[in-house]
Amino acid sequence: MAMEKIARKIPASLWNEASEKLVDMVLNSSNASKMPSDLAKTILYYWQRDQLATEVGLQRLLEASMLLEPEKTISLMEELGLLEIVAMLKETPRQ
Amino acid sequence: MIEFGIEFVPRDLYWKTTFYSIQAEKIGFDYLWITDHFNNRNVYVSLAIISAYTERIKFGPGVTNPYLVHPVVTAQAVATLNEIAPGRVVCGLGVGDKITLQMVNIEQTKPLATIKESVQIIREISSGKPLEMQGEIFKITGAKLNFRVANTVPVYVGAQGPKMLALAAEIGDGVLINASHSKDVETAMKFICEGAERANKKLDDLRISAYTSFSIASDYEKAFKAVVPVVAYIVSGSPEMILERHEISVELARKIGESLVHGQWKEAFSHVNNDMVEAFSICGTPETCVEKIAKLAKVGVNQIVAGSPIGPNMRKSINMIATEVFPHFKE
Repeated sequence: MAMEKIARKIPASLWNEASEKLVDMVLNSSNASKMPSDLAKTILYYWQRDQLATEVGLQRLLEASMLLEPEKTISLMEELGLLEIVAMLKETPRQ
Repeated sequence: MIEFGIEFVPRDLYWKTTFYSIQAEKIGFDYLWITDHFNNRNVYVSLAIISAYTERIKFGPGVTNPYLVHPVVTAQAVATLNEIAPGRVVCGLGVGDKITLQMVNIEQTKPLATIKESVQIIREISSGKPLEMQGEIFKITGAKLNFRVANTVPVYVGAQGPKMLALAAEIGDGVLINASHSKDVETAMKFICEGAERANKKLDDLRISAYTSFSIASDYEKAFKAVVPVVAYIVSGSPEMILERHEISVELARKIGESLVHGQWKEAFSHVNNDMVEAFSICGTPETCVEKIAKLAKVGVNQIVAGSPIGPNMRKSINMIATEVFPHFKE
């Protein structure tokens, strides 16, 4: 639920850029093996349907990137100027 | 028109391979080949999940081998895949990777007879037909699948040497030539023509693929760096005749091989030079890759397989093929 709220805060004008950068981060992560299979399959489902640059797609990508690369995810949101999201992510419990 | 295939090695996590496969389909690749080595993730499990997330692209093992996997099992696997994705399945078959087979003490004995009989077994059994065979290698007494099969699966034969190339053209629906350079493909085409003639086939009826080692990037150095490990293995396993054709030192090639066997990767890779990369890969900027593909098309191939490593960044390199290579060859 938390990530759903966070994803909703990303303005539509940044959906493509955020999605592209999150996808790269997840694919190239050295922690990729930590990705839960169910989440991976959900991301593949949205990718197949060209829905990664949507609220639901970004929600799943954020879930994955926060699991695999929490610090880099927060830095990316800072880079995108999404300071409210940065604050919300910092409060999100880490796994 | 030239078709394009892409090869993935399921050494990667299954969801990454599937992600790149979806991407390959989206950007217009025609074929997807997944390698088959027992020490990577299983080829058919990988293909099954890929088939669930794709709709158009043709796919299959590229290549499996009859030494480790009995051809009736291969026939069963491709027939099952064909039920999941009707009409999209192809089967690549070859003698396999010597180093991997040595790990399980399997020798690639009588390769021509083994491949010839295997193609017949795979073709007959995967078509749902019963088969009796008293071959030199395989004895089959009344084998038949217990399920109905709707389509036949085209069998592509992987080949490099003269006799195997001729056999591949004679008995295969397609030939996968293990080569990236037009000189090697041009030589291979002579044997392919011989084989096709033996079977009264027209070359146009055959899918002839150059199964290349491919690395594309906007920066040549990055593309080069990514392809070095793959080229090191190719150089070390290449027959002297092929090394000499490209004026590559046989001694240096053996040195690379010895280093690889002893796990001295840094040492092995340090000997890979520009001549080796030029001979055994399509590597470089999009312009260079387009030029090399055009040369391959000119000598007679009608499919290019972009094989490992694809590039320094898989996703970006796949997109680069779509935006900067395909427009030169696809409508």
